[in-house]
Amino acid sequence: MMDKDKLRKADLFSGGAIVLAGLFIVSQALKMPMKDSWGGVQNVWYVSPAVFPLFVGCTIVLLGLLLVRTALKHTGSRALADTARFFTGPAFREFLTRPSNIRFYAILVLLVSFVFIMIPRIDFFPAAVFFLVAFISMFYPDDDGLLKPLLLFYLGQTGVLVLCMATGLLERLSGAVPYPGDILVLVYIPMFAWFARSRIRALGSGEQMRKFHTGLAVALIAPIAVGMAFKYLLLVPMPFEGMVVALMDAVWYFEF
Amino acid sequence: MIILERISTFSDILLGIASQPLSLAVLFGSVFLGIVFGAMPGLTSTLGVALLTALTYSMDTPLAMVCLLAIYVGGTYGGSYASILINIPGTAAAAATAMDGYPLACRGEGGRAIGLTTTASAIGTVVSMLFVVSISPLISKFALQFTSFEFFLLAFFGILISGTLTSPDLVIKGWIAGFLGLFLACIGRDQLQFYPRFTFGFSDLESGIEVVPVLIGAFGIPQIISVLKDKFTMGKAQKLQRIIPEVGTVIRNFPAIVRSALVGVGIGAVPGIGEDIAGWVSYGTAKNTSKHPETFGKGELKGVLASETANNACVGGAMIPLLNLGIPGSPPAAMLLGALMLHGVTPGPMITFEHPTFILEVAAILLMASMAMWVTGMLLAKQVVKILRIPTQVFMPVIGVLCIIGSYSLGLNIFNLYLMLPVGIICYFLTAMGYPIAPLVIGVILGPMADENIRRALMVSQGSFMPVFQRPVSLILFIIIVWTIVSQLPWYKRKTAALKQALVLKIKGSA
Repeated sequence: MMDKDKLRKADLFSGGAIVLAGLFIVSQALKMPMKDSWGGVQNVWYVSPAVFPLFVGCTIVLLGLLLVRTALKHTGSRALADTARFFTGPAFREFLTRPSNIRFYAILVLLVSFVFIMIPRIDFFPAAVFFLVAFISMFYPDDDGLLKPLLLFYLGQTGVLVLCMATGLLERLSGAVPYPGDILVLVYIPMFAWFARSRIRALGSGEQMRKFHTGLAVALIAPIAVGMAFKYLLLVPMPFEGMVVALMDAVWYFEF
Repeated sequence: MIILERISTFSDILLGIASQPLSLAVLFGSVFLGIVFGAMPGLTSTLGVALLTALTYSMDTPLAMVCLLAIYVGGTYGGSYASILINIPGTAAAAATAMDGYPLACRGEGGRAIGLTTTASAIGTVVSMLFVVSISPLISKFALQFTSFEFFLLAFFGILISGTLTSPDLVIKGWIAGFLGLFLACIGRDQLQFYPRFTFGFSDLESGIEVVPVLIGAFGIPQIISVLKDKFTMGKAQKLQRIIPEVGTVIRNFPAIVRSALVGVGIGAVPGIGEDIAGWVSYGTAKNTSKHPETFGKGELKGVLASETANNACVGGAMIPLLNLGIPGSPPAAMLLGALMLHGVTPGPMITFEHPTFILEVAAILLMASMAMWVTGMLLAKQVVKILRIPTQVFMPVIGVLCIIGSYSLGLNIFNLYLMLPVGIICYFLTAMGYPIAPLVIGVILGPMADENIRRALMVSQGSFMPVFQRPVSLILFIIIVWTIVSQLPWYKRKTAALKQALVLKIKGSA
């Protein structure tokens, strides 16, 4: 959590956002049937589906306004000008490129790409291994200088994958080669590991190399353990079952 | 006669768990897993319960309850390891334990402190179990007289009190979080007229948002982001000597233990308030009532006893409103509520009719879990301490994969993931800006109850709010709600401070 002064400045903005969110809820609730007929039933206000959202929305607006008022009381109206200056000045740029924020972007990129790009379209096992290899390699060495190139490399790989999906290339290829997306991600894993290894080797630290190897082992073992537990013990089908799951099914159920 | 019958059923359930190897294995395994989750800074018992909910999906309800309650009990206790040995609370519940536990470990009495926390935690859980058994039928009977107005006011009170007591910054932020949770609960078709609200044409939103993925997102994702973003590093653990049960110290401090357990049960029973507050309140009470308060913070065994007894007693306390009113007493209890709903058990006043032995089952599991926790703590403490050496940068990404596959497996719906991640990211920002997450979660859970009951109540009263003032329970709840709000107003605080000062001056003058 931030310190008190920063919190009050942030409250100005979060309070404002909350007021807007509340107004949005109210505006949407007002579109719901209040006294009109719905499904052949004439409504009265107190059974309307809008009653509760209106109560919630109005309270959120009220609480948001109170928060803004409290923040303004603490910081004074000058804080607004200070904050506007911060957002337009070089300090904001410096803030955006702080190592802690780069780490934040890296976590977001990894999670968002895994959930929205990989999970629905790529076999769970290669997707999870790729995600973990990238995630652990970026964070376990605990070196901000290393994180940036690894993040860019990962972004490049994911970008190519998205491009292949968006242009329909993977779909066209699937006619000739089965599971093209899975194969691409399976190729990505050693590519990323090789790139990370070369960057870590350049650091010349045996300790970092040991960390890299440990991370790699965890990244390979964990998805297999987790995935197999869900798939074969709890009988939960994977979000997307592709090449690796087909192979594992064949082994598990002796489908030869 | 009824009491004898209940005791007989209770012992049958106990024997049932103890005689089944699978139940015993799940019990000990889950307690151990809970201790590991509690001991690892960055992981919490709530997250443990959340992740295990996915794994228990295919189990039958009694076994799933063994699993989830055991991890809850183990997780609450496990937090003390990191508190005592590295001065970083493994969970927020064990924050007060670090005050005296770490100085004890620095003096070479870490084994003694862990032995004491193990025994105190087990006693706390057992005392809370007694309260679950004895108070639940009374509350359940009382709650049967509740009408829709009372249920609406109860849900509203739960959100308000949770927001008031869990907010790390301004109380208003806790209330905002609670109302944001209520908004999330409005999404989907409403229960009375089936009208689609805030669905924006997405068919996946029509049935409303799934509670468990939202809870996994709200508790798991912010934890992963904050631990890795802020470069959380663990300190070097103090050496752990032989673990001693410390039965003598426990017997000498028995009245203090009972008091701490009562504090824990009481705080646990208040909706949405977690084990951390129970630990601190109990620690504060022990310090204030001690003849030597100056020794607290310097390795006082009574301090460790107070916080650890209370935080584990809170587990049973949180079960009381959960089972009888359907209102979770703490964030892990909120997860349990989601898990129970997945297993087709709807907690509330009707639970004694729909599942007559369920409360006794919960009590029996709590008793077994406390025993398993004591045995595991005594035998495996040194092994658990070794886990503290695993770097957070390695296990947090794995936890991320578990959160994702766990959210998906509940309903086998990828949309759950599309919901879980944004909720998690929003909750991260909210936490960073001083908004508590517990009221948001309580809001999501109690939202449908509040919505349905206020409209049903108004339907019965033809749009009149007068029954609120005509029924004693609803009137009392209404007064408490108004007081909760008014007590946060600056003029009220000024007036009460002035009144207190005037009273002190008057007493001094008359003396």
